[in-house]
Amino acid sequence: MTAGQAFLWLVALIALGFCLRRGPGTLRKVGTETGQSLVKILPMFAVALPMAAFLAELMPADAAVAWIGPDSGFMGVVIASVAGGFMPGGPFVTFPLVLAFSKAGAGVPQMAALITGWSIFAVHRIITWEYPVLGWRFVAMRMVSALPLPIIAGLLAELVVEVFPITLGVP
Amino acid sequence: MINTLRRHASLVVIASIGVLGAAALWRRDGGDAVGRALFHAWELFLFIAPSLLAGLLLAAALRQLVSPGALARWMGAESGWFGLCVATLAGTLTPGGPMAAFPLVLVLAGAGADRGALVAYILGWSLNGFQKLLVYEVPLLGPEFAIMRTLITLPMPMVAGWIARRLPIAWEPPR
Repeated sequence: MTAGQAFLWLVALIALGFCLRRGPGTLRKVGTETGQSLVKILPMFAVALPMAAFLAELMPADAAVAWIGPDSGFMGVVIASVAGGFMPGGPFVTFPLVLAFSKAGAGVPQMAALITGWSIFAVHRIITWEYPVLGWRFVAMRMVSALPLPIIAGLLAELVVEVFPITLGVP
Repeated sequence: MINTLRRHASLVVIASIGVLGAAALWRRDGGDAVGRALFHAWELFLFIAPSLLAGLLLAAALRQLVSPGALARWMGAESGWFGLCVATLAGTLTPGGPMAAFPLVLVLAGAGADRGALVAYILGWSLNGFQKLLVYEVPLLGPEFAIMRTLITLPMPMVAGWIARRLPIAWEPPR
């Protein structure tokens, strides 16, 4: 278990402690809700993780270098930002794919731009949730306000990487 | 019917890409490679499983403990940067996927949050949601990268909210 996982469990146990103080009924509700979430998420995992693994195997070792490699610079950041917006599915798809890209030679700033682009634009999420719940005007307002942010994130990451040699993946 | 489709649309898309990927891999490298990829996926699942369970427990507990509507009175149109900051933090602390976060935007709007705060809230959730960060990003991509990306993107929801307040787009929360 990594330090991050241990921290997450600690926070979860503290929150559960507060729920217990409100009474065992609250704790039971938490249990039921967690079970329901698991039932919803596990089928996603069963499909998404093999998908990411197949794509990772298919990708040639240096496939990502030319387009989104560490030396691809500003264009690489732009390409990664746009590509991020079209990644389908939740974090269980995106993060394994980012890991696969980085093994295929993608650069750290480009991956920061890709994750930011996915977080902000996620086209599938706009179509299935944001538009039906909040309407096109809200989507337009949010998109205009956030449009340059993935590229800015990539460029800032480029500056950081020049000072601190940050790598992707667990050491 | 629409709801079922909406819930399963991404599942269908991901499954189709997965089947195509498996077929292509089978043709290029044979059945062994497909088996190896499936084993990698299983290992990845075992690696994420403990944080996934902790994340879901924490999300369910927070939903019982915190009522987001109460925060909205600090997110009105006159709330300035402080309101944007509260909205960003609330977004960061919102657990769960889009099925949880977008309906909450309506709750916040009904309780008095303005459009800038709502934009900051959505971006705080999608950019730096703690659940995504701790369950996926830190274990898979390493703490160094996760911390760097989080620090870089931390002020962004507030900036976007500030811009959204000034955009000439009229938006009323749907009733």
